[in-house]
Amino acid sequence: MLQLKKATKVFNRDSVNEKRALHQLDLQLAAGDFVTIIGSKGAGKSTLLNAIAGLWFLDEGKIYLDGTDITNMPDYKRAGLIGRVFQDPMVGTAASMTIEENLALAAKRGHSRGLKKGINKSLRSRIKEELSRLGLGLEDRLSTPVGLLSGGQRQALTLLMATFQQPRLLLLDEHTAALDPKTGEKVLSLTEELVAESGLTTLMVTHNIVDSLKVGNRTIMMHEGQIVLDIKGKEREEMTPQDVLRLFERNSGKQLANDRMLLVKNRKSNGA
Amino acid sequence: MKSLNLKILLGAVELGLIFGVMALGVYLTFRILDFPDLTVDGSLTIGAATAAVLIIQGYSPWLGLALAFLAGGVAGMITGVLHTHFRIIPILAGILTMTGLYSVNLRIMGRANLPLLGTDTVVDSLRSLGIPAQYGWVVFGLLLAGAVIIFLYWLFQTELGLALRATGDNEVMIKSLGVNVNGMKILGLSLGNALVALAGGAVAQLQGFADISMGIGMIIAGLAAVIIGEMLIGTRTLLRALIAVLCGSLVYRIIIAVVLRLGLQTTDLKLVTAVLVVLALTLPRFGFKKQLLALGGWSRASVEKGN
Ligand SMILES: Nc1ncnc2c1ncn2[C@@H]1O[C@H](COP(=O)(O)OP(=O)(O)OP(=O)(O)O)[C@@H](O)[C@H]1O
Ligand SMILES: [Mg+2]
Repeated sequence: MLQLKKATKVFNRDSVNEKRALHQLDLQLAAGDFVTIIGSKGAGKSTLLNAIAGLWFLDEGKIYLDGTDITNMPDYKRAGLIGRVFQDPMVGTAASMTIEENLALAAKRGHSRGLKKGINKSLRSRIKEELSRLGLGLEDRLSTPVGLLSGGQRQALTLLMATFQQPRLLLLDEHTAALDPKTGEKVLSLTEELVAESGLTTLMVTHNIVDSLKVGNRTIMMHEGQIVLDIKGKEREEMTPQDVLRLFERNSGKQLANDRMLLVKNRKSNGA
Repeated sequence: MKSLNLKILLGAVELGLIFGVMALGVYLTFRILDFPDLTVDGSLTIGAATAAVLIIQGYSPWLGLALAFLAGGVAGMITGVLHTHFRIIPILAGILTMTGLYSVNLRIMGRANLPLLGTDTVVDSLRSLGIPAQYGWVVFGLLLAGAVIIFLYWLFQTELGLALRATGDNEVMIKSLGVNVNGMKILGLSLGNALVALAGGAVAQLQGFADISMGIGMIIAGLAAVIIGEMLIGTRTLLRALIAVLCGSLVYRIIIAVVLRLGLQTTDLKLVTAVLVVLALTLPRFGFKKQLLALGGWSRASVEKGN
């Protein structure tokens, strides 16, 4: 499905700020895999997703999607195959455009855009239908500019946009981190729902270790541009957040002393 | 104070409508595409030069307009390519094209000023439809500006138009949705400058000449129209925003006519325009409605004194 072979990216090569963000990284995803990615600040998590999305090209290595070599494909062409949600809720939507216009833009992801009407009746009814699933009442505010929505609403909308035109691959980069905990939780469960529904192959970066084990079917941990832990199945089910921390220290030889790695207790037991 | 007579008002409306087309082009690049494009000064002139030369050589004034439109489109495309492919910042890309166009325009015209004496204009063909000569340019201006507004309104709602608007709003987002933003920028700049040059082609016919320096300061005049319109009418819907630009252009030309009437020279107009833009940009920040009322009271008082 997705395959990275010896992916390497060095920023600011040959300068004092030289940074090896990805180092000979190998990763293979099966169709339908929902992989969560954890790792300390600067580990290369965002860089990994950016490399797959094609924000820039790799220095070395190859990327294959569905058997096609996409290593040198420009980002806007890859975007037809890849849905993305960013950490900043402002980045995923066009503020001056209406809710339905934003979704209409997403409906054309991966297709050529011509002089046909951007929103026709059938698209509008599908937009309404999809929006009503969010339970935010947005289906009654189709012509509201997105700029008037809250961060959580915008992020939910971005998620819907990323999956509106079923992508081959969904990339989520800490997409709940900028939201308040309750909204973040809602957006996360919406994520699970949308991914499960279409069996989307997904990569989700999170800084919440509990979420990383709870959501998806596989967890990888990154450190200094490499994957230092890759667990799934039974091994993953039995793993506790404390185990993950211990493993990280062993694999990286460092403490995961990082305020961004939250060790939140399972919220369900918390809330009860 | 001498009052504004009908003829002067009509002249201001004619200019307001024709330059309104230019302002719509500026609106497209500055507002929709969020690209501060300074090509305008050159593309207005290339439109005027192209139309004037063709008309002098005996071609139809309509063909003059059409080729003016195309010439402006090419000018915008060059700015677009300079920015997207050669990675030159927007302001500089526009200035480079504008500077180059000065020589190109002189080449097209052969000299600095081309009078159109006794040649046909697009308005002459309207006259055969029974429109009185006095109102010919007003009718033509209304038709042209109306057609451009309808065209842009339609375009902005097509798949392509939505992508164009999103490019100006949020580049990262629209890229992630598979749009080639470089292509969109080139398209937008091309269309914007094509509209500016179309206005230039009409202005040459209206004024009866093309001049190498007629484009100087036009970018600020266009911006003045956009900003005045936004301030007075607002941008709540797309159609409203487009109509606002045209109204802004009309108001701007009427203000210019008034200050000329008050005794300022045409050479003072650039300063007046600059001051207008500064006012229009800053007034809203200080509670615009109140300020406008105060200004209205002030100008009414001065008019009464004049009487
Ligand atoms: N465009 C860039 N130019 C220069 N350096 C970069 C760039 N993008 C990332 N880096 C550097 O590469 C390293 C990896 O960054 P990356 O954003 O992938 O980390 P991350 O794992 O996502 O961290 P975080 O948890 O803070 O989001 C960092 O040292 C970062 O400063
Ligand atoms: Mg990151």
